[in-house]
Amino acid sequence: MDWVFLSELAINGALTGLLYSLFAIGLVLVYKASSVPNLAQGGLTMVGAYVVLALARDLGMPLWLAIPLAAVVMFGLGFGIERVALRRLAGRPVVMILMLTLGLDIFLRGTTLAIWGGTSRSMELGVSYEPLFLGDIFISRIHLVGAGVALALFVAFMVFFRTRTGIKLRAIADDYMASWSVGISVERGVGLSWALASVVAVAAGVIWGEIQGVDQALSLLLLKGLTVAVLGGLDSILGAIVAGIILGVIENVGAEFLDPLVGGGSRELIVAAVLILTVMIRPHGLFGRHDIERV
Amino acid sequence: MQEKAQGQSILSMNSIEVLYDNVMLAIKGVSVQVPKGGMVALLGSNGAGKSTTLKAISGLLKAERGHISRGEIKFDGTDITEMLAQKRVEMGICHVIEGRRVFEHLTPDENLTAAAPMGMSRSELSVEKDKIYDYFPRLAERRNSQAGYLSGGEQQMLAIGRALVTQPSLLMLDEPSLGLAPFLVAEIFGILQKINREEGLSVLLVEQNALAALEIVSEGYLIENGRVVMHGTAEALKSNSDIQEFYLGGGEGANFHNVKHYSRRKRWLS
Ligand SMILES: Nc1ncnc2c1ncn2[C@@H]1O[C@H](COP(=O)(O)OP(=O)(O)O)[C@@H](O)[C@H]1O
Ligand SMILES: [Mg+2]
Repeated sequence: MDWVFLSELAINGALTGLLYSLFAIGLVLVYKASSVPNLAQGGLTMVGAYVVLALARDLGMPLWLAIPLAAVVMFGLGFGIERVALRRLAGRPVVMILMLTLGLDIFLRGTTLAIWGGTSRSMELGVSYEPLFLGDIFISRIHLVGAGVALALFVAFMVFFRTRTGIKLRAIADDYMASWSVGISVERGVGLSWALASVVAVAAGVIWGEIQGVDQALSLLLLKGLTVAVLGGLDSILGAIVAGIILGVIENVGAEFLDPLVGGGSRELIVAAVLILTVMIRPHGLFGRHDIERV
Repeated sequence: MQEKAQGQSILSMNSIEVLYDNVMLAIKGVSVQVPKGGMVALLGSNGAGKSTTLKAISGLLKAERGHISRGEIKFDGTDITEMLAQKRVEMGICHVIEGRRVFEHLTPDENLTAAAPMGMSRSELSVEKDKIYDYFPRLAERRNSQAGYLSGGEQQMLAIGRALVTQPSLLMLDEPSLGLAPFLVAEIFGILQKINREEGLSVLLVEQNALAALEIVSEGYLIENGRVVMHGTAEALKSNSDIQEFYLGGGEGANFHNVKHYSRRKRWLS
């Protein structure tokens, strides 16, 4: 095995993995602030991409304006989701909320299909497709940009969760009742976490839309995003970053070896195996919070 | 016992009825007054309706699908019967819920921050924290460890400290002594008494541990089956033979069955 080739696989795997992290951060945000797994993040990512395109293509705005504006629109949508759908379910069994977010995902997919149809559209960010060479190693520029965005969001949210508002969100995730008892607005906190996840969805939607085109398939990123979030430990932003890199590398390097043996398609198998094994062996993931035994 | 005039009560709860799930009548016309700057105990056995009474006052009933079906609650002269829980905290009512539910994955310091009102400045918050760490030096030592790993006593102190950050004028505590060693109960109750004296904080204390509670409060109510069956000064309650028998070291955990009997008692007590 050629070391240059192996490092190229590993580095590009890591970069792709960070793009999974970009997606997974949205899942973690909601979980960290409300202990609810958000199965609608795929739908939100897809809608985020469509909203950017609607502003840029249909209304003719430049991308530098369309993207922040889409972030504002999605921020509002996130709050709206809490207000209209989730508020009614506060305090109900998590499985009900899980089903609700799944329903939401399907709803969002159907909505984009009805409005924009199913033909794939391109994002056209204008990032060059000229390969970048790191020594002998080939690197994709758009992946590098996306990885940078993921890391920037990671830093931003690490800081955010140490601010007073961020601490209140973590408190809500710990105990709704205790939060209410000290005057924390649980509803607004959950709304804010969805709003932030929706903004992250715009970032993920733009990058992934550039890479694979904008259509309903964007929502399928949920499977990899969920695997990364679970491996990282659902409530850990750092976990999402580290797990993204790990999954990306395993997937890219592993597929290179396995594909010839199984005749292709081993990427999905690797992702599925990681998800299943994590849940079986280490349900809290790499960095997730443990439930504390009461003393 | 002389009923305090309405004007001197910080809390005045009149004939409150609470329904859970629209069917379960948990308290049936409870009236409780807390004088400004006073310490009052709500006593009674398990299931009597003590926690429900506190939740009616703090507005936390809603989270448990309960609601007030009759009566009114006034806080500082304002009708709060229908007010949102969050609004009541802003007004100065804070409820330390039972089971010392600290934010386990946060540090004690973050627990205090989480409870800070949005309008409180950074410097005000740090003054407030210092004050709380002064009252509870044990917390200061462990301010940056994970709250879930504190001992039961430390968690109860944190739950109280967290409530104090909201700057209440009425602090309600639901069975803070539960599961704690007697020396810790004495320590915590001593601190409550100190805060009450130094800051004029009014306290409504729910306890099954009547012996400890009656040492620090000035008056108490006895609740059974969703009704107030006795109300009097701490002295009067302590010397009452039935309270002595059932609550102060008599048959432990015994229940009051004959409510009528206590209604009669109540008449001569009041
Ligand atoms: N969330 C709830 N839903 C239905 N019934 C409840 C609920 N909480 C308490 N109750 C009932 O209300 C009555 C009073 O309970 P509670 O106020 O918790 O008593 P205490 O605090 O004195 O032990 C009990 O019969 C209890 O079963
Ligand atoms: Mg109780």
